[in-house]
Amino acid sequence: MLKYIIKRALWVIPTLLGVLIILFSLTYMMPGDPASAMLGPRATPELVAELNQRLHLDRAMPVRLGYYLIGVVKGDLGTSVWSGHKVSSLLAEALPHTALLALTSLGVAALIGILLGAFASVRRDSPIGGVVTIASLIGVAVPDFVAALLLMLLFCVQIPILPALGAGVAGNPIDIAVHLILPATALGIGWVGYLARLTRESMLDVLDADYIRTARAFAIPRRAIAYRYALKNAVIPSITVIGLGVGKLLGGAVFVEIIFSRPGLGKLIVDAVYARDFPVVQGGILVATILFVLANLVADISYAFVDPRIQYD
Amino acid sequence: MSEHLLEVNNLTLDYNLGSRKMQALGQVSFSLDKGQVLGVAGESGCGKSTLGLAILRLLPRVAEIRRGEVLFNGTDLLKLSEEQMEREIRGQKITMIFQNPQNALNPVFKIENQMIDILRVQEKYQNPGSRKRRRDFKQQAIERLESTGIADPEARVSNYPFEFSGGMKQRVMIGMALSSGTSLLLADEATTALDVTIEAQINRLITELADKYGTSILYITHNLGVLSEMADRIMIMYAGRIFEMGNTEAVFGSPRHPYSAALLESLPSRQTKGKRLLTIPGIVPALDRLPSGCSFHPRCAFAEEVCRQEVPPLIEVDKGHWSACLLDQKRGRKKWHWT
Amino acid sequence: MKTETINKTEVGMSPAQFMLKRKWTDTLRVTLRAVVKVKGGLWGGIFISIMLLCAIGAQWISHDPNAQDIMHRFAGPSLDHFFGTDYLGRDIFARIIYGSRIAVMVAFGAVTLSSIVGVFLGVISGYNEGKKIDYLIIWVFDVVRSFPQIILALAIVAVMGPSLFNVVIALAFTAFPFYGRVARAQTLSVKEADYVKAAEAMGLTRMKIILRHITPNIMAPVIVCLGMDMATMIVWESGLSFLGLGVRPPTASWGIMLRNGYKYIQTSLWMILWPAMAIALAMIAFSLFSEGLRVALDPKERER
Repeated sequence: MLKYIIKRALWVIPTLLGVLIILFSLTYMMPGDPASAMLGPRATPELVAELNQRLHLDRAMPVRLGYYLIGVVKGDLGTSVWSGHKVSSLLAEALPHTALLALTSLGVAALIGILLGAFASVRRDSPIGGVVTIASLIGVAVPDFVAALLLMLLFCVQIPILPALGAGVAGNPIDIAVHLILPATALGIGWVGYLARLTRESMLDVLDADYIRTARAFAIPRRAIAYRYALKNAVIPSITVIGLGVGKLLGGAVFVEIIFSRPGLGKLIVDAVYARDFPVVQGGILVATILFVLANLVADISYAFVDPRIQYD
Repeated sequence: MSEHLLEVNNLTLDYNLGSRKMQALGQVSFSLDKGQVLGVAGESGCGKSTLGLAILRLLPRVAEIRRGEVLFNGTDLLKLSEEQMEREIRGQKITMIFQNPQNALNPVFKIENQMIDILRVQEKYQNPGSRKRRRDFKQQAIERLESTGIADPEARVSNYPFEFSGGMKQRVMIGMALSSGTSLLLADEATTALDVTIEAQINRLITELADKYGTSILYITHNLGVLSEMADRIMIMYAGRIFEMGNTEAVFGSPRHPYSAALLESLPSRQTKGKRLLTIPGIVPALDRLPSGCSFHPRCAFAEEVCRQEVPPLIEVDKGHWSACLLDQKRGRKKWHWT
Repeated sequence: MKTETINKTEVGMSPAQFMLKRKWTDTLRVTLRAVVKVKGGLWGGIFISIMLLCAIGAQWISHDPNAQDIMHRFAGPSLDHFFGTDYLGRDIFARIIYGSRIAVMVAFGAVTLSSIVGVFLGVISGYNEGKKIDYLIIWVFDVVRSFPQIILALAIVAVMGPSLFNVVIALAFTAFPFYGRVARAQTLSVKEADYVKAAEAMGLTRMKIILRHITPNIMAPVIVCLGMDMATMIVWESGLSFLGLGVRPPTASWGIMLRNGYKYIQTSLWMILWPAMAIALAMIAFSLFSEGLRVALDPKERER
């Protein structure tokens, strides 16, 4: 078990190296001169020269790459061109908000979705199965930001009962929760349907399996068969999906944060893009990517716990 | 009042797949007594597995029982409720082991957990109010493993199924299926997926334990060779019907049905030594498009017009020997030589 | 009743070659018929056809999407303006129709690009399993896949400047590893097949084997991916345009319409509603259609 974890974790290193290389080469894709682009209308020859020197933009590529990599390892992601704050502190401020949003929506969606799917597969005759299929189709079809806009339209404008903007007053959990409802729903809506359908299909497959037949032949009670024997096998695809889905979640969080004007990683990155604040963009994407890679790592490892055959591949 | 352990009368069963309706069992009738081994033989798709599942009522939802009764110690199992089946029959009085041991055990749970679950259920129904602890169940599981010849049971009980070989997994299943409370074991192709040498060991184990506990066996297989050693009586099925049934020596020695004769002539044996082995021409018919009359007539070397017109009933043509061939019934003992 | 079998093979011939021997119109017809049999595959196909028609024939179906009519801004649906007008008095219906053109162009463009690159790399990687080039390609796939897709696309467009072309490039770049992985996995199983071994024994060069024997036979799951991917591409183009990082105004794209609608969310619900529905319907249509494709192309499912 440990060997598998180590092997899997080690593969992260060359991957992250590649990520850094790509992030680094983004500066080369900018048309024109990066420094003037970043400074925008404020660009004067002196400021441009100063920025060039500060960001080592005037040096040869290997040198720049070296500075960049060393900086990353040291935890120094540069300074915001726009505000002058250290990128790392900006990120540290923004991350908890995004984490709260992501975890809430994913957690609630997973719980509801998986149980709904399992229920729909066990009670095949109940109409829940049809409802689940339709809901999942709609949920998957409506992308996060479209759902967010529609929800805002409905619950903030047409029937004004929920707040539209912001994350709520800090320190007031009720206010924070209320401000979370719409954004988390927008992010999670696709998931509930998808996970429900995935779990239901997976369960139906599993319930056909030979080992379930064995359990029935030995009179194991039906509920135990469904919710213990079968479900443990059936959640395996869901776990993989959730692991991969963190990436989609981060992407969706970007839009949801912009639309609902919530502080967070997504808003930080997009605002930095508008302001041509390149170090922040670079740092933000790096953090988002690291989170995604870690989430996949965790998903793979927990997959190995759930399905013990995996480690031996 | 029935004295047989198991008596099946006129069991007829369809698989209803919406657009197609397949007759999986047609008027199947036979009986089995305590301590006997009845072999159920036939090619794939003849309904023998369906028969086993029907007895324990483990059929898929698309299966519809049209007619018939399955009397176990006089009680019609088909009329019991699901709870009654679970409470009294499944896993206790009647147990079943399946063909593919690879998939018979849940891959994500340890062996000990699965065995303990089963033992718990058995305990619950046999000794309600029992205060056995998990420790005791685990010990019981270890003992069962030992009795089936698995080495080092204390360690192996904590393994996952994928750490066992096919033969060992089947031993686990046998350990669960054969115990003092088991009256009837349904063995559905129990050794088909195993190597020939392991197959012999497993069959020996089954016979040993069945003798020890006085368990009757319904041994379902397409391997006539195995049945010649294990079975007291044999039943040959084709396209959902019984074609011939009787004592093993009688059926093997003088088969009354052309199909049985053909099966025997396609096996290497003393009788077929030196001769070219028979392959029966044609293929088994699809169960939703059965031929008229005797379902074997298109492939039968001896078929006549009447075989196409009438469905042969299963009739006792000799003491304890039944056959479903019109020609045999009309004209008496005949040797059906295909080659 | 004639039974049609697509996946029956004769010895030495691959399923793809067998298919290629028949007229391609036959294969197309049989596949489409199988797709339609799947629930929803028909509706998906119908909607997609409608979208294509709108995209191609936009000028004949509707008004000029850029014609402003300030006197009648924020109007609701009417006979003149089926979907109402936006903040500049432009006809929303027209903009939706023209928007389908953008959607189709981006979807086809990005998907074609990413699938060609991805499949090519994936097959090479799979066929050379275990060798250095395989590890290299896998590494590239994993690195690109590590980025949350939309964030990477966002950054690329931001850096290169918003335009239709850059959007296509950026989206294609984020998507090619998925095709690559699918192609590689398929190649791993296909390369052990008899017809490949036969070709190798006959001395065909590796490139020829890859092109002639392997690639056609792995296309089935790739094609299914294509279907779903197009839907995702449409959604992302809208997303990027919504952020102002996609197509440039005044081009009518559903994403830009949402962006404007967001600004005026208090005033007009029609500016948001119609593009939202268009995106959602496009997504549903492609999902249903590609689900139908999946069932149609999977030999196991066809026997159900």
